[in-house]
Amino acid sequence: MAAAVIDELRRKLREKFPEAHAALPVAAEESVAEQPFDPSFFPTGAISEVVGSGVGMLVAGLLGEPAECAALPDFVLVDGGDGFDPASYTAQACSRLLWVRCLTADEMLKAADLVVRDGNVPFVLLDTCGIARRDLQAVPGSVWWRLKLAAEGSGCRLVVMSSFPQVPCAAVRVALTARLGLEDFERPRREVVGRLRVMEERKRRAG
Amino acid sequence: MFAALHLPDLAALAVLRARPEARGRAYAVLEVAQGAILEKVKMPLLAVNGLARGTGIDAGWPLNRALVRCPDLLVLPPHPAGEAELLREMIGLAESITPDLEIAGRDTLLLDLSRASSKQAAGLAWLEMAEGELRHVKAATPDLARLAVRHAGCHGRHVSTEEVKALPLELLGGSGLLGLLEDWGLRTLGDFMALPRQDLIERLGREAGEWHDVLHGKTFRLLRLHRPPESLAQSVDFEESLSSTEPLVFTFRRLLHALSARLAARHVAVKALQIRFHLESGACLERVIRLPEPRVAEAELLRPLEILLETLKLKSPVSGLTLDAETMPPTAAQRDWFIRQLPRPERWSDTLARLDALLGPGRAGIPVPPSGHRPDDFQVRPGDGTGILLDSGFLPSCPVPLRRFRPPHEIMVAFEAGPKPLALLSGPYRGEITGCRGPFKHSGDWWDPDAAWKRLEWDVRLADQQLLRLAFLPPDRWCLDGVYL
Repeated sequence: MAAAVIDELRRKLREKFPEAHAALPVAAEESVAEQPFDPSFFPTGAISEVVGSGVGMLVAGLLGEPAECAALPDFVLVDGGDGFDPASYTAQACSRLLWVRCLTADEMLKAADLVVRDGNVPFVLLDTCGIARRDLQAVPGSVWWRLKLAAEGSGCRLVVMSSFPQVPCAAVRVALTARLGLEDFERPRREVVGRLRVMEERKRRAG
Repeated sequence: MFAALHLPDLAALAVLRARPEARGRAYAVLEVAQGAILEKVKMPLLAVNGLARGTGIDAGWPLNRALVRCPDLLVLPPHPAGEAELLREMIGLAESITPDLEIAGRDTLLLDLSRASSKQAAGLAWLEMAEGELRHVKAATPDLARLAVRHAGCHGRHVSTEEVKALPLELLGGSGLLGLLEDWGLRTLGDFMALPRQDLIERLGREAGEWHDVLHGKTFRLLRLHRPPESLAQSVDFEESLSSTEPLVFTFRRLLHALSARLAARHVAVKALQIRFHLESGACLERVIRLPEPRVAEAELLRPLEILLETLKLKSPVSGLTLDAETMPPTAAQRDWFIRQLPRPERWSDTLARLDALLGPGRAGIPVPPSGHRPDDFQVRPGDGTGILLDSGFLPSCPVPLRRFRPPHEIMVAFEAGPKPLALLSGPYRGEITGCRGPFKHSGDWWDPDAAWKRLEWDVRLADQQLLRLAFLPPDRWCLDGVYL
């Protein structure tokens, strides 16, 4: 709710003082370079789901390659299988992330519930790829609906990363596909992230 | 009216607490390096006892000269804990006269007698300590009393500026003027007081003028009052030991109610809560809760305690508890517009505490990439933004992030000499290797046989296009570190 009010305030300020908010072309290029994925693509107060072979690149795309360390995290990664590798990112990128290391599906869902209800960091990534498919299928649908209600209450963007569609109440479901080969390991990360193909599989109004 | 209390040779008396066998012998206090030849040490003595002084030596004498005069002199190291204890005893005696006192030195107290009754002031004569003679002097100004109390002849007297004139000039020993004034032929404080003040300042500087004013009773300053630190600690002993959370919460609420009222009365807020659980088994468990923002309200202080109790796993029932608080002034500043802050920091700290309780300590935080090449050697700093912010120049070796297996899967690999992997024979990913990058050689800590490590790494592609990181650990182990997806 608070995030929605702030967005509305920002929009009004932008309309009233367009000169002050007009971004310089150079600055725009820099911002693109720092963060290839736009977090605002995912709706606030709802659950989005990202599936597909390129799902692992989502964190890299969101964190980007910032020049400076952040004092406080911008994203929470609830890491279901404890598979996040800090050595794959710069210290500056890592500083934007609160990493919650879980070992089971139960821990993962409880931790996600806590951070979504908290609402201090309004972007939560729930990585279920490290959890066995059998355990994920055993998660009752009501759990996802409860998470959705919590996200609505706190105005949080909850993005579920999974290898197969599993969230019945996802407002947006996109497939990230990346046909990566060993030759891509020699390219800069921004170029690799830019090669990801985003296909919107589902979009509906939250609720 | 002011009084000064002074315990001569306090440092020497304190030493006796640690070395009682030195009683009855001439000794001096000095920190001498172990194994040093005493006859060659020229450092000045810090203090001497009465017997040593009887041989003609005194504090300030070089040790080698003192040993010539007193060959049996015992040299003992200072005993700071004993000195502090003696000073505390002096303060305790002085507080029986008046609570308004200043600690004017390691062995001297100044007392403001303006609020003390004549009967209480007369009690000064009855103060005594077992270790030595406790001198006291009364005077119209605190500095005059402090100066006069160092002379044995003034003990128990009310000293006026006229009486000070007869005292020896050595009492100005604390200033740097003594040598020069003695060279001028001055012998008593009266000689010094007779000199014109303005001329003294012109020749010797402001310090001489200040001493001149003190001796004439013109300096009248306020005492820097000694106030013992106030304790907010509260303790509860239970008649029957508690093993459930609810009665503990109830007890904490009662303690916090009193604490909150005391904090409000002092205009301070809690920065950290220190809790000590006394267990039935006799053990003690201590926990400190640092609050994100200073708080006073009972409900706000209770919430982190409730979370702590939820997470606590005790081995035996609680027979008592102590609650203490570290305080600081409450924040009254407006939030900064230009620095990113959390909307509800108090809730964030609660959430982090709950995550710690759910997952175990250190499993939620901001990751910091490794500073070396040892695999998976990262650090995690607290999620509330505290801790050292490392702006290192670490660069990832690969543009595609790795999804790590923790712990790595030990697998069997078909390989040819080199070694060069050909196919993965076991583990979650199997098949022929159709392409690979590497080997990348890593090693570290080679200077430490116990910690030394060495490995070869490959990025491999299997026939089903799966990209993996494979590692060979000499002499014969193969591991799957992770998968690129």
